[in-house]
Amino acid sequence: MGDSTKSLLQRIIRRIPSRAIESTLRKWGRLTAEQLQSIDFTQPKWTVTQELLDMCEEGNWTLKFITELEMSYIIDNPNQGMWYAYQLMNPEDDANSVELTQFKEQFKSHLKQLVRHISLKMKKHTDEAVWIRIAWGDRFFQPNHMKPTYAVHYLQTPYVFVTSLTSKHKPLFSQAMTLSTRYQAIKDANLSGRNLTAIRDLLMRQFQQAFPTKHPSPLAERNQTVSHPRIEKEQDGNAANRLELACEAFGGGTLPQLQSAVYKLETKFRDQTNKAMTEREESFKCIVKFASTNLLESLRHCASSGFASTPVTPLLSSISLKGKNYFVITDNSPGAASQPRRAQDK
Amino acid sequence: MERHHNSVTKTPLDRVQRRSKSKSYRQSLRSCLGATCLTPALTTRRLNISRRAPKSHNITKVNPEQLALMVKTEWQLSYVTPLYQFRHTQLKSYSRQLSAFIAAEKQQGLAVEVEGSHGSFRVSFSVVQGMSEAADDAETVLIQIHLKRLFSRQDEPAKVVWSGLLTCINGSPDYLRSLPKDFTCLPLLCSSGAEGLTSAVKSWFQQTFDCYFGQLEISHTSLQWMIALWTNCQTESAIQFLKMIWTLPVVPPLKVTYTVNGQDAWELWSSVRKDPQKEGNGEDEDENSIDIEEVMRFMQGLKSHFYRHFRLDLSAGKLDQVSTALGSAKCSGMIKISNSKYMISTLTLLTECALLKMPI
Repeated sequence: MGDSTKSLLQRIIRRIPSRAIESTLRKWGRLTAEQLQSIDFTQPKWTVTQELLDMCEEGNWTLKFITELEMSYIIDNPNQGMWYAYQLMNPEDDANSVELTQFKEQFKSHLKQLVRHISLKMKKHTDEAVWIRIAWGDRFFQPNHMKPTYAVHYLQTPYVFVTSLTSKHKPLFSQAMTLSTRYQAIKDANLSGRNLTAIRDLLMRQFQQAFPTKHPSPLAERNQTVSHPRIEKEQDGNAANRLELACEAFGGGTLPQLQSAVYKLETKFRDQTNKAMTEREESFKCIVKFASTNLLESLRHCASSGFASTPVTPLLSSISLKGKNYFVITDNSPGAASQPRRAQDK
Repeated sequence: MERHHNSVTKTPLDRVQRRSKSKSYRQSLRSCLGATCLTPALTTRRLNISRRAPKSHNITKVNPEQLALMVKTEWQLSYVTPLYQFRHTQLKSYSRQLSAFIAAEKQQGLAVEVEGSHGSFRVSFSVVQGMSEAADDAETVLIQIHLKRLFSRQDEPAKVVWSGLLTCINGSPDYLRSLPKDFTCLPLLCSSGAEGLTSAVKSWFQQTFDCYFGQLEISHTSLQWMIALWTNCQTESAIQFLKMIWTLPVVPPLKVTYTVNGQDAWELWSSVRKDPQKEGNGEDEDENSIDIEEVMRFMQGLKSHFYRHFRLDLSAGKLDQVSTALGSAKCSGMIKISNSKYMISTLTLLTECALLKMPI
């Protein structure tokens, strides 16, 4: 037991960048003031790791302590790894009144019924988010702490964000989640990214949105670059127009940091100049992937600078409006410009 | 030479290059060399507007080991000006000279990021026979640098850490015949390995054969030719997919990867081909040739399908990379030919690019 604890501690420390080790340990709160003082954090990481391992040996730290450390680090630095968003569907009558203790108990008991050996940790964070750490085992093996699944559920919303969940464990997780939150089903929200805060903001619409207005005066105030009253820039009107439409499609201000969007197109090829292809029965299959360090910024810039024609096509604006970044487009999918703000399915 | 059919063909990079080559280079060259034999070649060098469709060449004459090496590597391209007094008969001597040169460079502190670079480098030059069919082409030369580590066992084979291919496939016969007698033209260098070794090899060549190396980027037009030529092979060898990567100049830069199903790409391609019946009595030549207009129509079709969905014009961006199951090409000058059947056709296109990019 001691060996696996030490190797887990080693792995966790290796994952934390050197500059963050001291603050993480401080926040963890399991080390006494003297112990913290005794470690010289300017030493190379390997030496600091050794000192911590010695303390672990002396203090007989349990697996519980170490996993606490890992969880506290992940909660403070959630923007690593690949996060996937899920949405709960078809709430029961009492879904909206599920509160923290009830959710925790129910989730624990359901999951323990499904899996013999499991190590579960749940923690409520400040902003209504419940963080869950699951180390999976099975009938024959103890929980594997090296590859835990992390999940975040926002109470009273149908959203769950998960990372490192294998396809083997996915049905078990889904079942426990739906039962404990009093919903009937859970489905893939088709949104993924490296940045948890970004996909959360996008899905829960916590970013600055621009709504179509009749009088575009707010934007005019923003673009105050009048140098001389007699100088009139010809393209100003068009530019302001494009910017407004771009903001409507993607959002204003700072946008959540998405990395990519994938469109699987299965539509027919239609072109006036090419009769042979237009008459073809089968669809023209292709996959288009947009990638950037901040995808929504790039797309907004495309629209405001004229690379993309405005008004922005619903395919692109759906990223912000629907909070998705994986789409399958067929000839029957709704491509109409007017969409309800939160479509219930797809 | 100017094709003003679509705005698509007007890529600035191409245009600027071509103009400078035709005017200023010619003038300066004439004044420098006073060699009248070179000028006729310059005026006739143009990027082909019509090419023969690649026939799959079953390269049986080439040594399978060498072929395997050529197929599995991703090569970095450079152009080489004609080599003065390069003899295919003296390859052994060249191997020795280059080994000595690299050893000397290492002494002077050449940074070679090769693991276990404490060892001795051994160079081997060899001829790749059976590649070129044209009589004017010089034989392809394969250069390999082996590293024998200091403390390795006797029977452990030396590892190849750098490979290079000097080649000329179906080069323009007018140009090749116009060169003075002592010059050998091998305009295309494909290199793979550490950058330090590449520059060492280039320096030795420059010193020994009075030539010049330069980076060969694959132009937008050439990439489009690759798209068309590879898609054309669908009936013989499935391309599986046609993947194109564009970069749009927004802040932050947007990368668009457009992957089309192989069979669908082929159907679009065949729908833009000119009807061979209309061309006259079906000569074998006509059926097999592809015009630049067909290539442009194909690209336009692909872009318009994209535009119909996203209302985003891909012409605003830069085509960076093209790949299919038969190979991949990047605009920075990297090429990988995954299917040996199309080695000759692809190298023909690249030889042409190299000949065009050369300053003389």
